Amino acid sequence: MSIKFSEEDEMIRESVREFAQSKIAPIALKMEETKEIPRDIVKGMAELGLMTCTADEKYGGPGLSAVSAGVIAEELAKADCTGSTCVYYLVPASWGFLLNKYGTEEAKQEIFPKTVSGEWFLGIATTESDAGSDVGATKTTIKPDGDGFVVNGEKMYISGVREAVTHGGGHITIAHQTPERGTRGMTTFYLPLTAEGITPTYINDLGREGISCGGFSINNVRIPKHYILGEENKGFYILHEGYEYARALISVICASAGLKSLENGMNYIKERKSFGKPLAEYQEINFRLAEHYTKLNMLRDLGYKALKTIDLEQEGKVSRFETSNIVAQAKMFCSDWACKAINDVMQWQGAFGYSRECLDQAAWRAVRSFSLAEGTKEVMKMIVARELLGKKQY
Amino acid sequence: MRLNLESHLNFDETMKFIVCVKQVPDTTEVKIDPETNTLIREGVPSILNPFDQFALEEAIKIRQEGDEIIVISMGPPQAKKALLKCLALGADKAILLSDRAFAGADTWATSYTLTQCIKKIGDFNIIFCGLQAIDGDTAQVGPEIAAQLGIPQVTHCESVEKLEDKKLTAKVQTDDGYKIVETRLPVLITGITPSFFEPTNPPMMSIMKANKKPFSTWGAEELGGSKDNYGLNGSLTEVIKVYSPPAREQGVVIKEETAETAVQKLIDLLSKDKVI
Repeated sequence: MSIKFSEEDEMIRESVREFAQSKIAPIALKMEETKEIPRDIVKGMAELGLMTCTADEKYGGPGLSAVSAGVIAEELAKADCTGSTCVYYLVPASWGFLLNKYGTEEAKQEIFPKTVSGEWFLGIATTESDAGSDVGATKTTIKPDGDGFVVNGEKMYISGVREAVTHGGGHITIAHQTPERGTRGMTTFYLPLTAEGITPTYINDLGREGISCGGFSINNVRIPKHYILGEENKGFYILHEGYEYARALISVICASAGLKSLENGMNYIKERKSFGKPLAEYQEINFRLAEHYTKLNMLRDLGYKALKTIDLEQEGKVSRFETSNIVAQAKMFCSDWACKAINDVMQWQGAFGYSRECLDQAAWRAVRSFSLAEGTKEVMKMIVARELLGKKQY
Repeated sequence: MRLNLESHLNFDETMKFIVCVKQVPDTTEVKIDPETNTLIREGVPSILNPFDQFALEEAIKIRQEGDEIIVISMGPPQAKKALLKCLALGADKAILLSDRAFAGADTWATSYTLTQCIKKIGDFNIIFCGLQAIDGDTAQVGPEIAAQLGIPQVTHCESVEKLEDKKLTAKVQTDDGYKIVETRLPVLITGITPSFFEPTNPPMMSIMKANKKPFSTWGAEELGGSKDNYGLNGSLTEVIKVYSPPAREQGVVIKEETAETAVQKLIDLLSKDKVI
C-alpha cells in the first residue's frame, strides 16, 4: 500500500466514520429537500473538531495536517451522497488553512473561535460573472481608506452565502488594489458577509443542495486592516495555496464518492438478475467495474500524495511549484473519473438509477461540480503543462 | 468528603479509577481456526470492545478534577490502538500488558495478569470493567479480578448514582427491573450498557493529544508474580471447541386489532405446530 496513515489518522477515520455513518448518511437525501444541513449536524461536526480543522490549537482548532484533513473528507464523502457536508467541511478547512498561515493574529483570534464552534461559516469567494479560474480578470477593487479599506464589486457562484449571512462569518476573497500592476497588484482578505453594503443573491445549483450557492454585491464595504491576509498586493500568490489545499481535498472526495458508488453498484449487480444470470456476470458490466475501481484507487492515491506534498511544503521540503504540479495532476480527472463511474452505477440500476430515491444520482450531481469548483480541469492541464514545458513558453 | 455526584460540588479527596479494556475483532461473524480453536484475528479490523467503552465513559462521567483514570489492557502490540482511543476519550494514562508469556490465556490467567498490573499500580478506588467482550462473551474477567484482589464487586451496573464517604451507590439491572446497591470502596464494577447509551466519538483535538499522554508497555518481568500463572500455563480451562451458533429464525409477530383476535391467532398457530 502506498499511503501510510499515522495512528492519529486511523483514529480520526474511525471517529469520523462512526459520526458520519450514524448521523449524516440517514438524512443525506433529506438535506436536498430542505436545502440545508441541519444545525445539529453542523454542531456535531464542530464538536468533533471538523470545522476549520486546520486552525491551530491556540485558536481552538486541532491544527490537523493536510493528510488528516483528507481522511475526514474521505469519510464524509462516503456517508453523504449529496456532497453537501463535504463542501461545508472542505471550504472552511482549506481557507482556514490560508487564514491560519497568512492571517493576522487579531483576525485569527476573532474569526477562528466562531468557525471552529460551527457558529460561523468561513468560505471562499473569488469567482465573478466574468472571472472564474482566470482570477486576474477580477473586477472587484479594494482601496486603502483611513485606518482600513473600502471594497467594491461583486462575487458569483459562491458556496455558503446564505449560511454566512444567516449565522455569521464571511469569505476569503481577492480584489485589485493596484490595478495597473495586474495580478501583482491584488490583495487577499477576509470579507464578513454580515457587513453593511453586502447584498446577497441566490442560485439553484444542480447538486450539493444542502449548502447554498449564491453571490453578493459589495458596495462601499469597509473592512479593518487586520482582515488582510499576507502582504497587500501579493494576494494573488498566497490565494493559490488555499486553492491547492481545496483541490487536493476535492480529489480525495471524488475518489471516495466514486468508490462508495461502486460499492452500491456491486451490491446491486450481484443480486439483480437479467436473462437468467446476475448482472455481475456480464463482461460489459464487470470490466467497467474493474476499470472504474482501478482508476478511482489511482485517484485516491494521487489525492493523498497531493495532500502529503502540501504537508511537506509546510516543512520546507517541497517547493511551491512542485505542490502546484502534483495537486493539479490529482484534481485534473477527479470529477470526470468519478462521474463516469457513478454514471455507470446509475445505468446498472436501470430506471431506479434515474430516480430521486437513488443515492448515486445525488452523488453524480455533487461530483459533477468538482470539474469546475476551485479551478477547472482545463486550468489543471495548463498548470501541469506549464511546469513540464517551462514558464518561458507562455 | 466526596459529595453526591448530582450536586456537582467539590470534594477534598482525589480518586484513582482503573478501567480494564480489550481490543476485539470488529465483526459479529467471528472466524475460528479449526485447528487451534482460537479466533482468527488476521485481516479483521479491531476495535475497542463497545462494553468497555461504556465502562470508560461511566468512569469519565463521575470523574472530578484531580481524579485519575488509568486504562489497562492485555493484548498484542496492536492493542495499543484501543488504548489510544481510550486516551482520546479522556483517560489519563494507559498501560498495555503485552508479552509472549501471556499468550493463550483463558479468563483466569487473563484476570491474574490484570490483577498483577493493578497491584503494581497500587492504590485505587474503583475498577471499571465492561460487561463482557464481544468476541468471547464470557463476562468472567471482571468478577475474577475482584475475587483475586479480594474486593467487593457490583455486576450489571447501569450507572453510578452516588459516590461519597468512600461508599458507592449503583443502579444495577436485574431480571425484572433495577435495584440500588451500596458498597464500600475499593470496588470493582462491571457495567451493563443501557440501550440509550451513545458511544462518544473522540474529537480531533483529543485524538491529537492522545499520543502525548503517558503510555507504558509492561511484560511478565515488570509484573512479577509466578510465570506459571500467565498465559496458557496459568489457564485453568481448555477450549475444546468454538463455533458460531446457527442464526435464530425470524419470529412471527401477531398484529391484530383486538387482544381477543390476537390470542385466537396465537392459539391457532400453536395448535397448527402441535405445541398445544
